[in-house]
Amino acid sequence: MVSELLKDVPGERLFLLGNEAIARGALEGGVQVAAAYPGTPSSEILMTLASIAKDAGIYVEWSTNEKVALEVALAASICGLRAMCSMKHVGLNVAHDPFVTAGYIGAKGGFVVVSADDPWAWSSQNEQDNRWVAKQAYIPVLEPSDVQEAKDMMAAAFNLSEQFNHVFMLRSVTRIGHARGDVTLGPLFKEKRKGVFKKDPSWLTYVPATARKNRPLMIQRLEKIKKAVNGWPFNKLDLVDGAKLGIIASGLSYAYAIEAVKWLGLEGKVSMLKIGTTHPIPEELTKKLLSSVEEVLVIEELEPFVELHVKALACEEDIKVKVHGKDLIPVIGELSTRIAVEAIAKLTGTPTPVDFSMLDKVSSEVAPILPFRPPIMCPGCPHRASFYAIKVAAQRVIKSYGEGVEPIYPGDIGCYTLAFQPPLSTVDTTICMGGSIGIANGLAHVVNAPIIPCLGDSTFFHAGIPPLINAVYNKAKITVVVLDNLTTAMTGFQPHPGTGLTAMGDSTVRLKPEDVARGCGVEFVEVADPYDVKKAIDIMVKALKFEGPSLVVMRRLCALEALRQKRKKGEKIVPYTIDQEKCKKCDVCVKMFACPSIVKTGDTYTIDPITCVGCGVCAQICPYKAIIPLEEG
Amino acid sequence: MSEFKELNIVLTGVGGQGTIAMSEVLGKAAVLDGFKVRGSEVLGMAQRGGAVITYLRLGKEVYGPMVPEGKADVMIAMEPSEALRNLRFLSKDTIVVVGMRSIVPPSVSLGLSKYPDVEDVIKKLKELSNNVITIDPYKLATEAGDAIAANMVMLGALAGTGKLPIKVESLKQAIRERFKGKVVEVNLKAFDLGYSYIKEALKRKT
Repeated sequence: MVSELLKDVPGERLFLLGNEAIARGALEGGVQVAAAYPGTPSSEILMTLASIAKDAGIYVEWSTNEKVALEVALAASICGLRAMCSMKHVGLNVAHDPFVTAGYIGAKGGFVVVSADDPWAWSSQNEQDNRWVAKQAYIPVLEPSDVQEAKDMMAAAFNLSEQFNHVFMLRSVTRIGHARGDVTLGPLFKEKRKGVFKKDPSWLTYVPATARKNRPLMIQRLEKIKKAVNGWPFNKLDLVDGAKLGIIASGLSYAYAIEAVKWLGLEGKVSMLKIGTTHPIPEELTKKLLSSVEEVLVIEELEPFVELHVKALACEEDIKVKVHGKDLIPVIGELSTRIAVEAIAKLTGTPTPVDFSMLDKVSSEVAPILPFRPPIMCPGCPHRASFYAIKVAAQRVIKSYGEGVEPIYPGDIGCYTLAFQPPLSTVDTTICMGGSIGIANGLAHVVNAPIIPCLGDSTFFHAGIPPLINAVYNKAKITVVVLDNLTTAMTGFQPHPGTGLTAMGDSTVRLKPEDVARGCGVEFVEVADPYDVKKAIDIMVKALKFEGPSLVVMRRLCALEALRQKRKKGEKIVPYTIDQEKCKKCDVCVKMFACPSIVKTGDTYTIDPITCVGCGVCAQICPYKAIIPLEEG
Repeated sequence: MSEFKELNIVLTGVGGQGTIAMSEVLGKAAVLDGFKVRGSEVLGMAQRGGAVITYLRLGKEVYGPMVPEGKADVMIAMEPSEALRNLRFLSKDTIVVVGMRSIVPPSVSLGLSKYPDVEDVIKKLKELSNNVITIDPYKLATEAGDAIAANMVMLGALAGTGKLPIKVESLKQAIRERFKGKVVEVNLKAFDLGYSYIKEALKRKT
């Protein structure tokens, strides 16, 4: 698949994931430097570029966090190379500081920031709409309506960035980056440039005078872009003579809108404006639409961003038109063809092609009999074993804190966040990357309880180090657990500073969280293997009893990755089974551990031999030694 | 590009059952045969052992990445209760192929929810669609050489319904491109077993 992305055969069609299409667009746009920190739904953009970097002759890195990624790309742009960084929507919060000043700097080599927003927060802590973030930084936004346009816009963004000397944002969403579609390729960009750093403090050294000098220049650049966007192919006005309703749809919402119009049989009866440049909106085209219809419906996901601009424009131009938007389109979650159909049907008095209320009725009837199936940690996941050990250890020390005290588990962002669910229930807070240790710092000064922040290895390197130093400096008595599964599992197994591998597959220095912690001044630092349950518990107890900040690294390769490696090597996987005679139905394996491979039917406990990976942790936990390896043959 | 108008496929199951690989193979094959293709899935946190749904759509009239409710032509469910969870995509004409191996989530073992009677599930599906076909993809996949190939059994079953405008040979080529090594043969065999199983099942029906 990936090598196909380097084909220089314009016109050839490939079936691509949206994020692969964005990566291809970057290659067509001449990217020479790409940096990112993984985050759903953005990760595959850089994964794709990394896998072909050497063949493409470009530099690609996984940076320790989004702020660093943006700075790496910005530096390349300053030196005249085309550069990009990609991140999930909340990643832009981490990168916000340089992002805003990047607006002042603009771009020398084309510079594109990809923000992958996540409406409905499928894999995120919030539903932030980064068009606002771009607006406040004076950075223009391109929003694709499908996978093909994601590729085309990405390629064009580099050219536009250089043409206007300004940073551009490509705003993707889950249903673009994780959509799939046929993509017609364009030509690859051939020119390779050499980076040249030219000293220019009045452009690059942001003392107050530099800010004051560059802010008006930034505003002028955006004004020029505002005039130009009306002629860009990403905006398209289809005026229908005599139409009463005009529909404005931005980005992906256009796909839902056009499909809804066709499904309702309203093609040729309503006017439509497709907006691909959501910041700044194409004002000339918008004015033409506004003055030709009686009512306008703005269809967009999340915030009323385009809607407010349209309303302001109507007001400014004194155009008498009723503008609908979030009165009919939800501000929460993803849109769908159905939502667009219902809104348009309501405004035009057209019957819907499907009786949606009937479908809702049937669905709500079956809802009570459906099993609750939220995402969970995988069979054999070392995090489950770690949390078991952490909980048992916390129970051993809790008495010394007095009656009714419970351990507190500030949590973080990764697969292990899923342990918030019963029976583990060991994630009491999840705010942001590295937030576990930050929150723990605060708790340590206001409550008397064992405080056990848990975070993954990649998250530790991303944002865990400053709050760890804070704990040492401000004497916060906390026991940090680094759940080290030697990869960035949730987002698709990217390497990080603790793996000894770079994005491009080169070996590098392997930083160990335990060494970093010692370097930060943590005096109690130990490493445990969560698959060795007893030892892991003992180490945790010692850490919890330590006066002062302590840190335990629970190290064991991600079970999915381990399984993959075993399959590759042809190693046999021996699942476990339950000896029904020995099983006393004490429920410990379910109540305390709940590996998805252990199934309780009535009062019989069994292990699913297809999904069990043979980690053997449940066998250590069973008080009656009833769990044993399944004999071969 | 093909003038074919519209076909909507909903693939559903439990994270780890391979619905995404199924949609990759389908999409590749559709592009080989000259169709416009749209589809989508959810990756990341939502994927881990949870209920998953993947959409694949082809034809010149498709725009959005998700199949609209009530508009599925085919639903392939790798797991019975997951077919039930996605009733809202069905119409009387939808062909529903259900993999009959139940995956009971830990929430059931923990007593936090219940797993429905599979016969009730099928009954309910039959109330909504006139074309419900059941299959045991894991049995056939094991026969083909590896239970993990159950998704390719289901893909074969999908092809066997005769609803797909994609050529069987293109699907097989997409399998060869998507997988590597000896897995390819197992997957092709699994595909064939699913394909003939459904052909037979449909013959019995008529």
